[in-house]
Amino acid sequence: MEVIEIPIEKLKMAPWNPNKMDTKMQAYLKTSLTSFGLVQNLVVRPLGDGSYEVLSGNQRLSVLKEMGMKTAPCFVRELDDSHARLLTQALNRVQGEDDLGLKAESMKKILESLSQQEVMEILPDSFASLNALQTLNTDNIADRLMNWESNRHARLKHMGFQLTLDQQQVVQQALNLMTPKAKASNSESPNINGTALYLICKDFIENKGE
Amino acid sequence: MHTVLTITGAASVKDSTIPIQGIEPGSNPRAALHSLNVQGIDRAIAAEVIKHHHYLHSFPGGTKLSLGVFDRKRLSGALTLGVGPKNAHCLVENTSADDCLTLTRLWLSDDLPSNSESRVLAMVVKLLRKHTTIKFLLSYADPSSGHVGTIYQAAGWLYIGLSAAMSLYDLGDGVARHSRSVGQIFGSHSIAHLTKNGINVKTIPQSPKYRYVCFVDPAWQSRLRVPVLPYPKKEKSDGSN
Repeated sequence: MEVIEIPIEKLKMAPWNPNKMDTKMQAYLKTSLTSFGLVQNLVVRPLGDGSYEVLSGNQRLSVLKEMGMKTAPCFVRELDDSHARLLTQALNRVQGEDDLGLKAESMKKILESLSQQEVMEILPDSFASLNALQTLNTDNIADRLMNWESNRHARLKHMGFQLTLDQQQVVQQALNLMTPKAKASNSESPNINGTALYLICKDFIENKGE
Repeated sequence: MHTVLTITGAASVKDSTIPIQGIEPGSNPRAALHSLNVQGIDRAIAAEVIKHHHYLHSFPGGTKLSLGVFDRKRLSGALTLGVGPKNAHCLVENTSADDCLTLTRLWLSDDLPSNSESRVLAMVVKLLRKHTTIKFLLSYADPSSGHVGTIYQAAGWLYIGLSAAMSLYDLGDGVARHSRSVGQIFGSHSIAHLTKNGINVKTIPQSPKYRYVCFVDPAWQSRLRVPVLPYPKKEKSDGSN
């Protein structure tokens, strides 16, 4: 199939193309086009009046116009409406997906020589997601599980109570009354409210519920 | 190159060089099983994989451990272990919630060889046994999705009957919420309490689920409070078993 350089003013966006791109993603596209140039040709069909409708590359066309480009390389296909829409749907939707393990390998290679900042100007990844990818499959599972095990033992136990406003005021009053004792109790728990509740319960049990 | 036998005529059989998807040249399904590796993965990555590939398309709240299944360098699966139904640990005598984890999601790529699920479950149990104090795992299979827990059966987990049928809650917006989510919003999922306070709530009945247990510490099996039952079978399309 022949690739033709077509003047930008002769290229018309297909208004029926449902593919959308927000301004943030368009900024990534612009950085990519500036850095690497247009490495993927547009796909268009002739409209019969000397202009062409863009079936694939509407977002690129928008950025190319913004960049002041005069022409764009296009694959030209003569298609009726139905087939034009079908091809557009196929180009929009029929694609592979990254295996995250292999993507992580690839990102590691990239980040060996490029900075995270540089990568994040081209790709819509956050620092957190890049870091997560960089550590993927590098963990020692034994260390992770042992770390998880010690963390869960260090974590104070959580008990949730749901109270009406009146009940909450009474409970808070009781906790406030016990707070000085809780502070003086040298409890292992750093949570004063928890210790105060524990002491109230302990008193209650020692007094056999009276 | 992995080869498959192709019948090309009534009596002739010859080697084909068509590679089987997911199996690299020079390997065979059995070797591929042994190349599987379980690693801890970032929660966000696990969420991405589970939301995309698991049939429920949601990442479970209360996740405590996110693990990835690697086939060499490919991330070919993910699973989550976390908080299950409240008091589910009481199925086993003298336990606390800390002794138990629930396998809340498991997804493995169809590219992996058969028996990968039981291989992965065995690896997870072995790792938990070696590096944690978890005593048993629970999991549930949803018959309304056509599941009977085949992978748990293949992995030798014990079938302990149907769980109680828990309802989901619709707060008038058409979204089916777990009782725990409703409790987080209102502090309670009591229908009487919500209705009294003007909340338009409807319950959406759910079917009971097949319940399976695996003792990470086999010595704890004697504490099981409920009987171990024969495995349920998948109903055939004609309604028979």
